[in-house]
Amino acid sequence: MTVKAYELRRQVARSTSKHRWGPGLGKLALWAFLIGMAAALLFPIVIAFLGSFKSNAELTAGATFLPSEWHFSNYGEVWEQAHFSTYTWNSAFISVFSTIGTLLIASLAAYAVDRMDFLGKKTYVILQSATMFISIGAVVLRPQFELMVNLGLHTSLWSVILILISGHASTFFILLSFMKGIPKDLDESAMIDGCSRLWTYSRIILPLLAPGLGVAGLFAFRHAWNEYILPLVFTMSQPNLQVLTVGLAGLRYGISSAAQTHYMMAGACLSILPLLLAYVLANKSFMQMTAGSVKG
Amino acid sequence: MHQIKRKLPGFWFTLPSLTLTVVLGVYPILWAMRFMFFDYQGFGAERFVGFANFDRLFSDREFGTSVANTFVYAGGKLALTLPLSLLLAVLLNRAFRGRNLLRAIYFLPTIISASVMSIVFFILFNSYNGVINQFLLKLGVIDDSIAWLGPDKAMLTAILIAVWGAVGNYMLLFIAGLQGIPADVYESASLDGANGAQKFWFITIPMLGPVLQMVMMLAIINSLKGYESIMVLTEGGPIGKTEVMFLYVYKLFFPISTSGSSDVQQIGYGSAVGFATAVIVGVVTLVYFAASKRLNRLY
Repeated sequence: MTVKAYELRRQVARSTSKHRWGPGLGKLALWAFLIGMAAALLFPIVIAFLGSFKSNAELTAGATFLPSEWHFSNYGEVWEQAHFSTYTWNSAFISVFSTIGTLLIASLAAYAVDRMDFLGKKTYVILQSATMFISIGAVVLRPQFELMVNLGLHTSLWSVILILISGHASTFFILLSFMKGIPKDLDESAMIDGCSRLWTYSRIILPLLAPGLGVAGLFAFRHAWNEYILPLVFTMSQPNLQVLTVGLAGLRYGISSAAQTHYMMAGACLSILPLLLAYVLANKSFMQMTAGSVKG
Repeated sequence: MHQIKRKLPGFWFTLPSLTLTVVLGVYPILWAMRFMFFDYQGFGAERFVGFANFDRLFSDREFGTSVANTFVYAGGKLALTLPLSLLLAVLLNRAFRGRNLLRAIYFLPTIISASVMSIVFFILFNSYNGVINQFLLKLGVIDDSIAWLGPDKAMLTAILIAVWGAVGNYMLLFIAGLQGIPADVYESASLDGANGAQKFWFITIPMLGPVLQMVMMLAIINSLKGYESIMVLTEGGPIGKTEVMFLYVYKLFFPISTSGSSDVQQIGYGSAVGFATAVIVGVVTLVYFAASKRLNRLY
């Protein structure tokens, strides 16, 4: 086949592929499906958002879509009386510090594994991948709690932060794949100029790793912010240390006998809000993260 | 000596990571592997009982039910999530107006906490005044309120919620895989007169093979392990209908007083059950691995 004929065939193929969705009815059904899916996935979020402005009586009676009267005060009440200000602060505290710690420790390890030769490197990598596959569930929380008692950390959120940081295997592998994309000559020439490894790591590797740190950080932050069982177990008897997920679930068994559905809705929206804002601003990074994990 | 000196820096750089992994990751597993041979209630004396915990495990009806429930839950979630997310991925892999917005909407549920959304769903699925029943009643799809969280429907509800949270994630993984398939292959198939369905079965699926296998593996492990959402939604109830095995392990260690089971911590037995669940997940993974390898040879 000549080049020209091949070009022609490609053109034909392209012109037909434009109509792959078929005319009229098929296209309509397709759009109906796509929009229906979007509506179904957004539905609970929209209902929670609208519900957060309703009175408890209106929610209990059901039957309305839009609030008959917009009770913006729900948010103030849930923030003050239901202690969501404390929960938010605690959530932010563990999420920020566990993200920083995870990135620091995982990037140090990824730098060593990619650029250096050391004893037990293979074992280390196998160990990290094993931790991602082996799971014995809540069993580990008990020895972890005993360890924290011995360290005197069981009454502080640092215990939760340390345990969150210890689960850095996925961050390590993400950063490792980003590390492989950084040309080796840069840090090698710095080393030849007499710079120490630590200097090279902090001044050359870390800045170049920034895009990787950004997406992996987002991932780690989301994980910490959304974590439920770990902070639940560690703060069961310490309400002032509880995070948003734990505090919100606690509303189901509220102190007062009647269910405070309006607080639950407002609390849920408050818990979602920070991540939702981050997602609106940087949804490409969130999605890049997930997509990248296939290739990694 | 020089050799060792050259190899030291790498060791120092991995030391923080290694320490945390060993102390908070490996040690707890070894701890459990010791205690599964003991009778221990969280305080007082621990008593060596040999394999007694495993004898109990094999005759434990509740554990058997929880394993069966886990497979129903994971199977149901996978059976709905994977085809749906693959379909969405194929549809959204084409260029058209609004594609990015749709992708962003489909992915949105995956960034939200499962426990927070389970609270919301708990309210929405309420049989008496829940929005879902009222919506369906108004549309005329159903005549009577459905007890979504009752014994008959609770598992279905839990699965639907899991699908809601997972579809966007797997859609995105599939899109990443689809983008690795060169457009030429589709073009030449079109020239040979292949229709959409044929192209899907004979090009998309085989070419997606490696990604599909990895995503399936991830999906299987994740759905067997997940219990956070069920814990918030139903606590395994009503009457144990949604009790999955990892939730059962949790309750042995941290008894939930409202659920009616005993309030005593059962550290020894819990460790044995935890070990058994890890083995079950491991066996399923290995079986899947072997099966997908055989499939590879067939293609």
